[in-house]
Amino acid sequence: MTEANVTVAESGTGSVPEGWQPHIVALVCNWCSYAGADMAGTTRLEYPANVRMVRFPCTGRMSPLMILKAFEQGADGVLVSGCHPGDCHYVQGNLVARRRFTIFRSLMDFIGIDLRRLHFAWVSAAEGHKWARVVSDVTAAVSEAGPLPAFESPEDWDGVELPSVGDGGPQELTADQLDLLRANLRRAASEVLAAKRVGVVIGYGAGSLPGQNVPKLVTDSSACEILDWGHGCVNNLSTYIGDALEHNDRVAVVVKTCDLGAITGLIREDQVRRDQLLLIGMQCPGVHSGSALAAKCLSCSGDPHPICDLVVSVDGVHESCLDPSDAALDMPDARDEQIAYLESLPYAERWRYWQRQFGRCLRCYACRAACPLCYCSSCIADKHRPQWVPTSIDNAGNSTWNIIRAIHLAGRCSGCDECARACPADIRLDLINRKLALEVERQYGRVGLDPEEKSALIDFRMEDSEEFIL
Amino acid sequence: MDRTQWLLTESQLREWVRSLLDAGNSVVAPVEEDGVLLFRPLTSEERAILAPSGKTRWSPKEFLFPRSEPLYRYTLDGGEVEIENPPAPQRPQVLFGVRSCDAGGLLRLDEIFLSGTKDPLYAARRESTTVVSMACAAADPECFCTAVGGSPVGEEGSDLQLVPLEEGWLLRVLTEKGEALFGDVDERWQDAPAAIAKEVEKLERRVAGQIERSPVKQEWSKTLEDGFEHEAWDRLAQHCLGCSVCAYVCPSCSCFDMNHEANAWCGEQCRSWDACTFAIFTHHASGHNPRSTHQERYRQRVLHKFAFKAEDDEPFRCVGCGRCVALCPAGLDIVDTVTAAVAAIREEGADAAR
Repeated sequence: MTEANVTVAESGTGSVPEGWQPHIVALVCNWCSYAGADMAGTTRLEYPANVRMVRFPCTGRMSPLMILKAFEQGADGVLVSGCHPGDCHYVQGNLVARRRFTIFRSLMDFIGIDLRRLHFAWVSAAEGHKWARVVSDVTAAVSEAGPLPAFESPEDWDGVELPSVGDGGPQELTADQLDLLRANLRRAASEVLAAKRVGVVIGYGAGSLPGQNVPKLVTDSSACEILDWGHGCVNNLSTYIGDALEHNDRVAVVVKTCDLGAITGLIREDQVRRDQLLLIGMQCPGVHSGSALAAKCLSCSGDPHPICDLVVSVDGVHESCLDPSDAALDMPDARDEQIAYLESLPYAERWRYWQRQFGRCLRCYACRAACPLCYCSSCIADKHRPQWVPTSIDNAGNSTWNIIRAIHLAGRCSGCDECARACPADIRLDLINRKLALEVERQYGRVGLDPEEKSALIDFRMEDSEEFIL
Repeated sequence: MDRTQWLLTESQLREWVRSLLDAGNSVVAPVEEDGVLLFRPLTSEERAILAPSGKTRWSPKEFLFPRSEPLYRYTLDGGEVEIENPPAPQRPQVLFGVRSCDAGGLLRLDEIFLSGTKDPLYAARRESTTVVSMACAAADPECFCTAVGGSPVGEEGSDLQLVPLEEGWLLRVLTEKGEALFGDVDERWQDAPAAIAKEVEKLERRVAGQIERSPVKQEWSKTLEDGFEHEAWDRLAQHCLGCSVCAYVCPSCSCFDMNHEANAWCGEQCRSWDACTFAIFTHHASGHNPRSTHQERYRQRVLHKFAFKAEDDEPFRCVGCGRCVALCPAGLDIVDTVTAAVAAIREEGADAAR
């Protein structure tokens, strides 16, 4: 969309038009920073006039969507300002916001938003002097960063060669072993259906393409022969749990270890109870992406996880159901080097990299549909009053969508990579998710497979790090 | 019109693309971007992938029917409103290396946008577009054009056609528009002998032989419509996740939505791709949704490809590229679905209760 009275930099040129002045949007809390700005005014303090303020009841009310909207509408910089920790009018809004902004900021940095454009501050109602100083500092920093780069795919750009992910992965299973696994799975499924322990088994059957497996729902113990197991079993079947529970009291789900984080998430977020599920954990040969092992498999042993009710391996079928409170999902990721490499690039390169990726986005929302934890009945992307995510399928709207999708899953995403697998445009959503997971873990520790644990971004500690807050 | 045909080497083909670019055309051809094969406007003939190992990830329809396009724009200046029409296409456009199925898909778009009241934006773009198709050297696992009446060397929708030969390409002129794309034919170009038709037939037989799908029959359209309420749809569509990969990668899907993007100073009314597989596509302002389940929505898409025809002998709206089969995150297969639906409807009667 054309933007009146804002200047967008020609991507790649880095040139600053003469007389350019930065546009900065400040999102401020009504109870402190807004009054602080007022104080600065009544105290007759001078500070740059580049900031336009939007008043909120609390930093806790500010969504990353609002920051994204400012950038999408052409702001060169954004300042978020609220009450000092301990001073929140609503007790803890700013403490939750602090975690959210910490993680959001790391993502913006990752996708190539120069952090000189994005600032956070605590300014109380009494701190008129601090407000004037913060605005001066922020304006200077944004001026230095220059006009916001354009939301557009780079033309004739050679792209970035990411380091290869190397090899690894579960031990390769022989054809005989796979047959044994299939037989064990069919027996287990047939038994739980015959014993009426569940009403349906959500598993995999053969697909119509070579090597493809597709989700299959089996309700009859004599029909379990259609269940299949192998490299093609890519889907995270927990996506189907909600629907299946509409017709059944209890459902069995065939799971790989990488699917378990999503199921834990669904339990943690009260979408399903553990006793409504019978998890059939499979020994996994790794799943294929094209003709090679999927990247997520490279650091996985393929062992079935003991928190499942039934564990199916080449040795047979065993009842298990280990208490999940100590269960970790220890998965160093083969892609961390790719993330580190992207982070080593200058902002402009990162911006080009992600703009080209986002530029391919068709807004088919396959990422959302395939994600087990995207279960909202009405997605923010479908809402029009107000319309936070632009509907137009262009770089600006696509950037907002892809960023907000990731942020809504930050601290929740289980790394099953279904979004990236489903994406017809091969957007590296897996790198974005993984980057956020790394940041959440670095800042707030790891959340395991215990549904009783709180996920990091709905929690806070008084002593949470805030080194970037002015 | 006399058919004109030449044999071209790779360097001659690239030189020709160069000359099209030099003549001011926007040449849209398959290129590789981050490992994905996509149609993109070429900046240099070197970037075009002339012999890709598979089909492009999605069809070239976005160059006639863009993902999003403004219908009008406005600016607000005080009390003044200024309305601006969207720009007309500046340059003639050549869609280069389009597969036969995709070229057929463009005709399906014409049906929607050009029959009856013409859509002026589409019409202008279509008018200035010439389609150079590329017959298939091999079928992909998901291909099924022969099952829906197409052919790997089909000429439908093409102005010019390239046919990959063991060495080089055969270039055939099929329409006057195609002919107009040439200035003076390069005198070094070698005329193709009439016997070359045998080679083309051989290629067609070989590639068609790689497609293992049994045909979707014309008379199935009626069966599918009769069995609209059949319970089989619940079963067949139960894995559909409700995204729109199938519709957006489809060469013939043409649904769109009107959306408005605006700020305090300016705005635009846009037409953006939309899909019948989304719940909000049919969501009424009242809150009522006539297609409230994903089964009903999936059925809509399948029937719109294979049924809902004005005339019995009208071709299917599916051209058999197979992209929806290859890219569906839930692994749904449209040919299997219609085959199973028809079987169930015939076996259990059209009115087996849902």
